[in-house]
Amino acid sequence: MLRAPRAFPYRLLLPAVVAMLAVVLFPLLYNFYLAFRNMSLYHYADHRFVGLTQFRQLFSQPILYVLFGKSLLWTALNLFFHVAIGLFLAILLTGPIKGRAFYRTVFILPWAMPQYISALTWRGMFNYEYGAVNLILQRLHLPAVPWLTDQVWAFLAPVIVNIWLGFPFMMIVCLGALSAIPRDLYEAADLDGANAWQKFRNVTWPQILPVLTPAVLLGTIWTFNNMVVIWLVSQGGQPADQTHIMVSYIYKVAFTYYRYSYAAAFSVIVFLILLGFVLFTLRRAAPLEART
Amino acid sequence: MTGAGRARRRMVGVLKHAFLALFALATVYPILQIVAVSLRPADRLYSTSLALIPKDATLRAYHAILFEKDFLLWMRNSFVVSLAVTLLGVTLASTAAYAFSRFRFPGWREGLYSFLLTQLFPPTMLMLPLYVLMRALHLLDTFTGLAVAYTATALPFCVWTMRGYYDTIPVELEQAALIDGCGPWAAFTRVTLPLAAPALAITALFSFMAAWSEYPVARIIIHRQELYTLPLGLESLAGVFQTEWANYAAGSLFVCVPVMALFVVLNRWLVSGLALGGVKG
Amino acid sequence: MRRVLVPGLLACCAALVLAATSCAPGGGKTPGGSAKGGATARNIVIWEQMDPEERARFEANLEVFKQSHPGVTIQHTPYETEQLRTQFQTAATAGGGPDLIFGPSDQVGPLSILNTIVPLDQTLEQGFFDRFVPGSLDTLNGHLYAAPDQVGNHLVLCFDRRLVPRAPATTAEFIATAKRLTRPGRYGFAMNTTEPYWLVPFLGGFGGWVMDAQARPTLDTPAMVQALAFLKSLRDQHKVMPRESDYMTAETMFKEGKAAMIVNGPWSWSGYRKAGVDLGVAPIFRLPNGQWARPMVASKGYSINVNVPKDRLPLVVELLSFLTSPAAELRSVRDLSILPSSRDAYRDSTLLGDPTLAASRQAIEKGGRMPVVPEMRVIWDVMRPEMQSVMNGVKTPAQAAKDMQRAAVTQIAGMKQ
Repeated sequence: MLRAPRAFPYRLLLPAVVAMLAVVLFPLLYNFYLAFRNMSLYHYADHRFVGLTQFRQLFSQPILYVLFGKSLLWTALNLFFHVAIGLFLAILLTGPIKGRAFYRTVFILPWAMPQYISALTWRGMFNYEYGAVNLILQRLHLPAVPWLTDQVWAFLAPVIVNIWLGFPFMMIVCLGALSAIPRDLYEAADLDGANAWQKFRNVTWPQILPVLTPAVLLGTIWTFNNMVVIWLVSQGGQPADQTHIMVSYIYKVAFTYYRYSYAAAFSVIVFLILLGFVLFTLRRAAPLEART
Repeated sequence: MTGAGRARRRMVGVLKHAFLALFALATVYPILQIVAVSLRPADRLYSTSLALIPKDATLRAYHAILFEKDFLLWMRNSFVVSLAVTLLGVTLASTAAYAFSRFRFPGWREGLYSFLLTQLFPPTMLMLPLYVLMRALHLLDTFTGLAVAYTATALPFCVWTMRGYYDTIPVELEQAALIDGCGPWAAFTRVTLPLAAPALAITALFSFMAAWSEYPVARIIIHRQELYTLPLGLESLAGVFQTEWANYAAGSLFVCVPVMALFVVLNRWLVSGLALGGVKG
Repeated sequence: MRRVLVPGLLACCAALVLAATSCAPGGGKTPGGSAKGGATARNIVIWEQMDPEERARFEANLEVFKQSHPGVTIQHTPYETEQLRTQFQTAATAGGGPDLIFGPSDQVGPLSILNTIVPLDQTLEQGFFDRFVPGSLDTLNGHLYAAPDQVGNHLVLCFDRRLVPRAPATTAEFIATAKRLTRPGRYGFAMNTTEPYWLVPFLGGFGGWVMDAQARPTLDTPAMVQALAFLKSLRDQHKVMPRESDYMTAETMFKEGKAAMIVNGPWSWSGYRKAGVDLGVAPIFRLPNGQWARPMVASKGYSINVNVPKDRLPLVVELLSFLTSPAAELRSVRDLSILPSSRDAYRDSTLLGDPTLAASRQAIEKGGRMPVVPEMRVIWDVMRPEMQSVMNGVKTPAQAAKDMQRAAVTQIAGMKQ
């Protein structure tokens, strides 16, 4: 805690708060309003209040629960690999190692590339007969995989693509976080005779946590809400609509079926799920006041 | 150090390099595929062979994208917007995060949480009201509208990351400065901010990327061709079935270049800060 | 400070919400196109979805129009199909948007229901629509909402003449040809088997269609079962098709000479020629029941935004009229392989003499109009997964047909709620 005039922190906050309120608040409230109405193609201008009808309908359909499961799986797989790969690379590339700048730059490429073309290129690489992935597997005498037509593999294919797209971001965050660790902490650990794992566990991990927590938290939220990759790689849910997650389904009901209120109600549910997640994480797993 | 220890170290070094090289290859391979697309004549997005340089390779697409399309205009527009967002993002986030890190005030927790809350709603559903809002504020077809919207999307991450980073900087440094007669603003800008260089680098890169190749929001706000940013320009190369894939790929590769350049510049800051041992108690 | 700030911020955001809701969809209507520059009487804004070569012709036509109308400026903005519809919907319902929107005929379904485009039969002079080939017009609730500049979008059989000298006219001929040409490294045939648009020619040939005249889905029919089974047999029984082929894969194979025949539409032909294929096109062959396959035929055209102010409307109408005139439609018609919608242009000798365009016309005459009602989107959407399930061997054709129909009925009910 720092002592300063009482208004000082508010003055620091004001510009950011105004920018956020200006853009985010109205769209958010508008959707909450829509969720309790019946706006659709046939009731676009004359929509009316229908109470909880949309929610009742949603909870009575099994698709909600199936999609929730898929969204969870999608998010968990992605986040785990984003953080694991990102952190591992960052640790390798923080110490003195030949070609450090080169590797760092190479690993950021997937992030720099426009997603649209990357996702479509990956789809081409997953073709059963002609795709690079299967051709390479066959050279290694491994069986070819029906990446795009089998429902399990077709779910994993976009996961792989999204891991590829997402690890550079985590790597950068980790690089920044690692650079905040005072060198003398390691020196002290060396004096205590700590091995590599103990140093990671007792020095690195607690030190990077404050920077890593927001990245993981927001990474989870973004991944949960990211439909671009899954939509492009599976070409809108192929095969047979088996590769949807909650948000891609919302997109579909809103823009294919014009069921705006239904989609808004679905989005409110997503919002509440993520809200629960955020509150839980910040209360239990990584409290805000971890270090004050 | 014993001979066995040295041998083990060398083993670890070799393993590290082998891993990095392999992983780099796997990372770059899809990008090489995109390079291959840009070299293929007759707009073939896919190929049935593994060859990265097609037999009939041509650099036509690079010429076309630079001289026949408005690519440079799109790039300029993207630059203007991205630079504005980077400046705004870094300024607003570094101040707001400082307030959250160094002070406890009524509304502290709610404020910090509400930055996160703005990210929870599925973004596809926010587009329609965003259009209505931008129209009401007369910000359609303006870079101001775009920059404000992007800053708002980038801020939550930037604020939280900056706050986390400030938290790792010992508060005693500023307290010492205050005792020496600095005001709180001077303590912030002269003492804390320079030490937070790595977080500023992340914030800058992230803000830049939030604007640089963002599509959905740009599509909502910008409808005039002379204001197109890169992703909108690239979209105009695509038809329903017939897309200028070679040009698209070449353009996408050009889109990467400034990001990489920015990263190379910022990379210096990612190794500075406390790790260099600038702070001793 | 805090006592002032918190209420201040609250007031701030309340004001914002108020300002924004006052022009929420369905609220106030202010005239004008995009925020700046669109509001003068001499400036027209067009949003369009075109293939790149089509756009080049469009731009040439605009130049001609501008020369005869000094002082008029025209801005056009390209969109991808889905984006065009959703962006226009958003903009026009909020009271803005372009003056003209150009895109596929099926977008008029939702756009007219949302009251975003005007009924042209009431806006344009009497007899305006007499100039069009009757098959290029779509009526919705008794009104015409789009003025087409082309008719087509129909699937035909494309073949590489170096491998296939003469187009097969029957299924037996087709299979024999395809089998003869299939060998390691090449297939006799490739086709997009993931999109239902490619299933429709076979469905129609076997005597079925996607919906009846009242827009009720008719998917669970013997014709649907036969069509699905037929496609699957080409790959599994006759083995003339690759195991997985979506649009891009089939297209790549045909361009690289790894497939001798493909089913695709006019938009693809110039690309095939550029890739070095000696292209021949023909109507898709007769099915085993002796009937020709029946592809969908659709047009693309212009609609007028309801928000166009009265003082600009005459100029907008004039431009629309010019863009659908024979002169404009015949420009570079052979390179584009697009069939014009205007009666005079359709009968023009340039078209009759060109073998590709002649074959294309034959195919159109064997086709059926694509419905433009919004229910059509649901139909595509429910057919797609079932078709993929059949091709992946997860469902039998009979089961898939049944499931399609059930899903269509449910989804249409949901949409109409």
